[in-house]
Amino acid sequence: MKPFRSIRWRLQFWHAMLLAAVLAGLVVTGHRLRRTEIFHETDQQLGQRLDPVAALFRPARPPPPPGGPGGRGGPGLPPNPSPLPRGLAALPPGTENLFAATSGDGFYFVAWNRNAVELARSASAPAGVPLPDDTEDAPAARMRGTLREVYRFLPSGECVLAGCDLREQLAGLARFGWLLGGTGLVIFACGLAGGWWITDRALQPLAEISSTAGRIARGDLSQRIQLAETDDELGEMAGVLNETFDRLEANFARQARFTADASHELRTPLTILLTQTQAMLARERSPEEYRASLAACERAARRMRRLVESLLALARLDSGDAAARREPCDLAAIADETVELLRPLAEEAKITLRADLAPAACFGDPDRLAQVVTNLVGNAIQHNRPGGEVTVKAGRRDQQVFVTVADTGPGIAGVDLPHIFERFYRADKVRAGASGRTGLGLAITQAIVESHDGTLEVSSEVGRGSVFTATFPAARPGE
Amino acid sequence: MRLLVIEDEDDLRASLALALRDSGYAVDLAADGGEGLYKAGNSDYDAIVLDVMLPRLDGWELLRQLRLTRQTPVLLLTARDAPKDRVRGLDTGADDYLVKPFNLDELRARLRALIRRTAGRAGNVIVIGTVALDTAARMVRRDGRPVALTAREYFLVEYLALHQGQVVTRTALYEHLFDEDDNTFSNLLDVHVSNVRKKLGAEFIVTDRGHGYRIP
Repeated sequence: MKPFRSIRWRLQFWHAMLLAAVLAGLVVTGHRLRRTEIFHETDQQLGQRLDPVAALFRPARPPPPPGGPGGRGGPGLPPNPSPLPRGLAALPPGTENLFAATSGDGFYFVAWNRNAVELARSASAPAGVPLPDDTEDAPAARMRGTLREVYRFLPSGECVLAGCDLREQLAGLARFGWLLGGTGLVIFACGLAGGWWITDRALQPLAEISSTAGRIARGDLSQRIQLAETDDELGEMAGVLNETFDRLEANFARQARFTADASHELRTPLTILLTQTQAMLARERSPEEYRASLAACERAARRMRRLVESLLALARLDSGDAAARREPCDLAAIADETVELLRPLAEEAKITLRADLAPAACFGDPDRLAQVVTNLVGNAIQHNRPGGEVTVKAGRRDQQVFVTVADTGPGIAGVDLPHIFERFYRADKVRAGASGRTGLGLAITQAIVESHDGTLEVSSEVGRGSVFTATFPAARPGE
Repeated sequence: MRLLVIEDEDDLRASLALALRDSGYAVDLAADGGEGLYKAGNSDYDAIVLDVMLPRLDGWELLRQLRLTRQTPVLLLTARDAPKDRVRGLDTGADDYLVKPFNLDELRARLRALIRRTAGRAGNVIVIGTVALDTAARMVRRDGRPVALTAREYFLVEYLALHQGQVVTRTALYEHLFDEDDNTFSNLLDVHVSNVRKKLGAEFIVTDRGHGYRIP
């Protein structure tokens, strides 16, 4: 997995981006606000200080006669720049200190007449303060290096300017900026670390699930996902996965046991073939011995053929392609035919075979349904007592058709009953011999019934006999 | 050497009997666990070949019950080759096991080894004076030259050699050389002993009057 394609990295990336954007916005806004605040305060202070300065140039004395030549620059204000002390001295009482060079605040003022000639300046004013550009009547402010200056053009044409040095405030603002940035960085780092930790915790179960699934994929089916917390979504998922693994393992075990059983069943006839041929080939034998040996080999080969055919039948049923053929058929007719076919076998075994058949229309594969009846009746004949009976019934009940096969044999013990449909399960533990039994008959029968959406049930009473009932959905009229 | 084969598959039992009799063993047969246990408990076999899957009384149970009374070496025949099945077989008291399908040669070799081990000999060759018995090749040499013995004669020599120095009664010899279906007269044993003496020297087998035979 490429690191930058992983969920962890993508989460982390977006989380970091978002956090950085939010923090950057906060820091910049904070800085701006602080800066604006500083300017605002300064401007206010400067404005307050500008008022007394401006008052100097207001026509405090009676204004010049309206008819006088040039209302501005009347006799009160000489056309030439007046010496500084004069202006200072004229500052209203209590305001002298506002611009004191010694006050340490660094406030200053400068005043110009309308001809841009400097009229007055405070002692604290730095050299070479340029006349601001003319603006509307409203006070305006400007930054000149670290100097903040507020100025106003008076109606009479003079310009008054108050300023101060913001060096310290700006340095403070810079410090504040660094502090904000530093705090932002620390928060960013904490956020990243926290995000990493949360992502890590959130993804931890995924890693556990992934490694468990990997071990299972490598063949160890007994592995299960072990999560400390099982209440969250991933815990739920792990639970579902574990259930799946359980079923998978059980299926796998069943399949493995079936394969092992099948190979065991094949081993015996194989052994017969091997030992017979090896014994015969060891030295010259009489024709009778050869004949007997070949007969034994043939029996073994037939047995293997039966077994292989049964295994193939089961494999086909397992893979589901048995459901291919479906046609209307009568279960009673199928049962009748089968019963007649097996009658000689029953007579040979001194068994009375009875049939009680009522029409039972259903939908299915007649050959396979015949196999169901054959297997059940064959079993009933085989597992019976001499002089016993086998009764085959077929008919329709509600929406279902059924065929039952009852015998008067020894019955099936309770411990065996749940297992008799299992492959290779034998209640009497006798191996399939020349009798023709493979141990797969009932398993195949059940598989066929189930492939027809039917059910196969058995009830048995030890000493009295067993009843097998196969039930299928009935064909609806008109089908 | 007398064997008991307990196997429920008729064809397999028949071919085992044929093959083992060909090799000169006296072979008794049993078709199910009950019969097998009865025979195993009432005769002194040199070895028992036991199929695990038997009707009624299975091989494990038979073995367990047999071990209560007898230590006859048992070779298990099994279709199950999972390690736990082998372990179970050996733990129950089997002396060896063979997984189906097997080779007759391997079965014979394992039986020979089993019988030899039971007699307390690990090697193939037993040397008695100038006579050397190769139990693997079924070959007897005297002064380095091979001596031709019939299967019965060979087993007579081998049985006595495995019990060298002990007196073996005629009954015991008879039990180990002939199977239950043999209706031979008991003086057949004397004929075999006499033949062996001719081939391997008069002093090779000593007769203890009234007790039996012995290889000194």
